Amino acid sequence: MSSTATQVLFDAPGPKGRRRILLLSVLSVVAILALLAGALWQFRSNGQLDPGKWIVYLRVDYLAFLGQGLWGTLKVTALAAVVAFPLGLLLALARLSRFRVLSTLAAVWIEFYRGIPMLLVVYAFLLALPAFGVTFPRFWMLVIPMILVSSATTAEVFRAGINAVDRGQHEAAAAIGLSRRDAMASVILPQAVRLVLPSLILALVTLLKDSTLGYVVSYNELQFQGKTLVSITRYLVQTYLVVSVIYIVINFLLTRIALALDARMKARAAAG
Amino acid sequence: MIGFENVRKEYPGGTLAVEDFTLEIASREAVALVGTSGSGKTTLMRMINRMVDPTSGRVTIDGEDVAAMDPVRLRRSIGYVMQASGLLPHRTVLDNITTVPVLRGTAKGEARERARELMDTVGLDPELASRYPAQLSGGQQQRVGVARGLAADPNILLMDEPFGAVDPIVREELQSELQRLQRDLRKTIVFVTHDIDEAFRIGDCVVILRPGGRIAQVGTPQEILAGPADDFVASFVGADRGARTLHVERVDGRDVVVDADGRAAGVLAGAPAGGGNGSSGAGSRGTGSHRADGGHEGGRGQEPPR
Repeated sequence: MSSTATQVLFDAPGPKGRRRILLLSVLSVVAILALLAGALWQFRSNGQLDPGKWIVYLRVDYLAFLGQGLWGTLKVTALAAVVAFPLGLLLALARLSRFRVLSTLAAVWIEFYRGIPMLLVVYAFLLALPAFGVTFPRFWMLVIPMILVSSATTAEVFRAGINAVDRGQHEAAAAIGLSRRDAMASVILPQAVRLVLPSLILALVTLLKDSTLGYVVSYNELQFQGKTLVSITRYLVQTYLVVSVIYIVINFLLTRIALALDARMKARAAAG
Repeated sequence: MIGFENVRKEYPGGTLAVEDFTLEIASREAVALVGTSGSGKTTLMRMINRMVDPTSGRVTIDGEDVAAMDPVRLRRSIGYVMQASGLLPHRTVLDNITTVPVLRGTAKGEARERARELMDTVGLDPELASRYPAQLSGGQQQRVGVARGLAADPNILLMDEPFGAVDPIVREELQSELQRLQRDLRKTIVFVTHDIDEAFRIGDCVVILRPGGRIAQVGTPQEILAGPADDFVASFVGADRGARTLHVERVDGRDVVVDADGRAAGVLAGAPAGGGNGSSGAGSRGTGSHRADGGHEGGRGQEPPR
């Protein structure tokens, strides 16, 4: 993060502190390398490093198979986000509403889906609802629970953002003659959304990881494709390592975007 | 004309902000409400545009009870300038100024044109139009605040310690600009401040408040300085410490006005017979560097020597 923030929170270390930091850094790097070496050693003695077990991931059909999974993951995540984030905003507004009934309903809804593990919601769609004769296609059995849970968590993100907007802005808006609704729409929300944009992108990362629950409903997302691949090739270690790397790269990129946006916004706020 | 009739404001929990306040504010006059914190001055001002509703009593504008008016429409018809300007940080200077006219249905192009005129009126460089508030200095932000307050051409302008957050030099500059604006525009201004010097500079009429919104004295700055109603007022305006006492000393055949510490404050204007100090200032030689033309400023400098 920004170095100025760190300097505000902590004193700059002196010569002794710097030496200690250096020593500990070296030690931890050594420890991590040792662990990695140990793991590699284990893999090697079990024959997991056999090039034949890795080279297959350069084959077009393997890549296409995983690519299909990646496409499924992105599709599910994007759709869930496109529905869940606006819904989250509406839930946040409902929770902040002056109408008791509405705000209570929103609060109950948010707390329920925020508190429940997503796996249980998926199970509800997979196992409980069909018992009552309600069935959804696999795609929706994954997407709807993602929307329900993610909208609840992002609602709280939005609410925090709205509450974080300077109180003076409410007053200023009222004083110049904006109605409550106008003030919310044209003064408070634009500022709140800016405040929470980085958090929203991080919520997107969470959403993407949640999509791995697709294996429960046998939807062809990345993790499920990996699982299928393992059952065919028996290359468990290799497959899941490749799949993990793909997840890490995508989420890393998303996080970078979030940080870049954050930095740009701070730069703009401090401009001049 | 703005009227307060036996206004009382009690907050839930029993805090009494204003006990029983009655006052009439003439149209086209600048009234300064001055008092320490807790004197209810801001509360009183906010009753005019219904940011605060009185617990009992009435507030009227031109005889009409504001309680019967729609608060949003009322506020759009009254200019409001607040401390730290209250600008919207995500909108440019120009968009900030045009907010209210656009809400009232003025066409965007027309509103922008008028906003540019207003920027000129309040002394803002037209190049600043596309800047964001965070990119302006405190004084510039305050000017934008004043321009926004005037944007819808309101008859009434409420100013809530508008210059409280800028440094003394800029504050003085803004005060004189406001005096100049008021000479041209003649709005009904209600100006809240805790600074008695500011109140004397801005107000045609000054209302000194005690805690609970009780009036200690109402009058022109001259009247208040000439005859403080009681010890509270005397101490508030600094008369008791001699801070307001000026003396005339004769130097080289001219009358030099000297303050309590013996520092020169200015020179008495040249009319030999005295008293004929026209407000246009055309006849008198503009000698005193601090002299605003006519009005109360002159009155302050001419307190009789003791």
